[in-house]
Amino acid sequence: MLDMLHDDDRREDAAAWQARETVRSVRRMGLTLFLTVLLLLVLNSGQLVTWVNGFDVGPVQDRIVGLSASWNEWMEKAGFTEPSEAARENVNNARQVNWDEVWRWIEQEQARSREGARALRGMVGEG
Amino acid sequence: MLFPTIEFGIFFLIVFAVSWAVRGWPESRKLFLVGASYFFYGWWDWRFLGLLFLSTFINYLAGLALARTERVGLRKFIVGVAVVAGLSILGFFKYYGFFLTSFAALLEAAGLERDLPFMQVILPVGISFFTFQGISYVVDVYRRHASAEKSLLNVMLYISFFPQLVAGPIVRAADFLPQLHRPAVLTRAHIGVGVVLILSGLAKKMVIANYLATELVDPVFFDPSAVGALDLLIGIYGYAIQIYCDFSGYSDIAIGVAALLGYRFLENFNQPYRAASLQDFWRRWHISLSTWLRDYLYVPLGGNRGGEFKTYRNLFLTMFLGGIWHGAAWTFVFWGAFHGAMLGIERYARRKLEEFAPAHTDPGGVIAAFGNSARHIVGVVATFHLVCFAWIFFRADSFETAAAYIEGFARWGEASQYVTPFAVGLIVLAMIFQFTPQHLGRWLARIVQYLPSPLLALLLGGGIWLIWAVAPEGVAPFIYFQF
Repeated sequence: MLDMLHDDDRREDAAAWQARETVRSVRRMGLTLFLTVLLLLVLNSGQLVTWVNGFDVGPVQDRIVGLSASWNEWMEKAGFTEPSEAARENVNNARQVNWDEVWRWIEQEQARSREGARALRGMVGEG
Repeated sequence: MLFPTIEFGIFFLIVFAVSWAVRGWPESRKLFLVGASYFFYGWWDWRFLGLLFLSTFINYLAGLALARTERVGLRKFIVGVAVVAGLSILGFFKYYGFFLTSFAALLEAAGLERDLPFMQVILPVGISFFTFQGISYVVDVYRRHASAEKSLLNVMLYISFFPQLVAGPIVRAADFLPQLHRPAVLTRAHIGVGVVLILSGLAKKMVIANYLATELVDPVFFDPSAVGALDLLIGIYGYAIQIYCDFSGYSDIAIGVAALLGYRFLENFNQPYRAASLQDFWRRWHISLSTWLRDYLYVPLGGNRGGEFKTYRNLFLTMFLGGIWHGAAWTFVFWGAFHGAMLGIERYARRKLEEFAPAHTDPGGVIAAFGNSARHIVGVVATFHLVCFAWIFFRADSFETAAAYIEGFARWGEASQYVTPFAVGLIVLAMIFQFTPQHLGRWLARIVQYLPSPLLALLLGGGIWLIWAVAPEGVAPFIYFQF
């Protein structure tokens, strides 16, 4: 994959092109990073609160902690924190699955597959 | 400052913004990146910043001295002094306690107990990596593979550049220094590669490696005598995946971050568990270290130029010293020696096998193709299990633990405690990615590089959010930080 980084070196006007492309790409990546931060602030506000709670005690820090807590409350009210909770819950459920459940699921799938095949054969027979 | 933390995220945003803002002033950009790298290193322990600078300065002076003389003897002396100085610093911080403890045990065994000058020496993070990069610089200048740098700033940036500073990949002077003499470039390809590698690295480390560590590997290795053979078997498969995802995840993030700052590192992992021989494994695992050991140790020892016996000796010595490089413990020494011995045995066996049943021979056709495929599959399975056996010693905190682990393979009747469908699923998922097409990453990067900014942000932000949401709480340090 890393050889991709040299693909443009072979261009005839490599230096001039790279200078122009760098300006464009920095702008593009800058905007991407800005939007990424916004997205994470909205979807991951709980993590922000956990992080700022690790700050030392002080007037500025207390203000930041208060602002983060308020922001997190808004996000919770707006329902933006629900996807995180749902994702974590799904993973926790997956972690709790035991082998009995796996075998039961496999048996169910096999039975459903047999049922499907039987139904299909029946339909062919009727036709 | 660990990669998958908010602190590093903020640090990277500042470094990205400022370094590209000063692109028009290359010296200022390098100065800023050196300052950022020293800040990054000082975040762990600022007391070792002086050590990092001292190591860099010795190599810088050696490079200048090499550039000023053509006398072969003097050049050898200079490179020797620089290498010995670098290894002495590494030896003191990393091996002082180990050698003294081993020496005390030896004296005790001989009935000659003495009071030895024990000291509590703190291991500076990343010392093995920046020492090897320093040696790479001096030796490359000595061999005239790289020019001696007049600029101290360039050497400082080469050795301390933060993405690779604490856990590699080990960057070669001949690869990196020429990049400092050109204007830094950021193209669509850099963005595509950077985003794909950062996301894949985070997923490997935070999800796969961390879950396998907490749910399977750590409990099994805590007391191997308390679990059955199935737990031990899947436990070591789990560790093979954990260490791969942990270390290659770090390398991926490092390479991706460097790409977004306009620099190119070389690949460090290439689906190592699809290797069909140990030799192939070492061409795919920690490539920057194995090629370093090859070029700066195996080849100077004589490589394969002195006949069969010397080749086996050099292979063994190289891997033995590679084992010691990993850590100051006899279990690492055994791990390296085992790989060295097995590489020698494999080389001998392959030679004999080629004599009896050469690959790709007449009559050819389906039977020969089937034979070669079967041989390849057997090779992959055997190599994986040999590597796993060696991982037991790499992971165990003592020979007693490793012995208890191996003895436990006799307990097949016991019910499993830690082999859950979740853990097995993670192992299977990671193994599948060992056998995907080798250009999968390239294809993904090609798609990503053409995404418009909002979609790219959705991918990057959504990816980081999802990884954070599903990963275990807290951030475990990377395994290779201890080396």
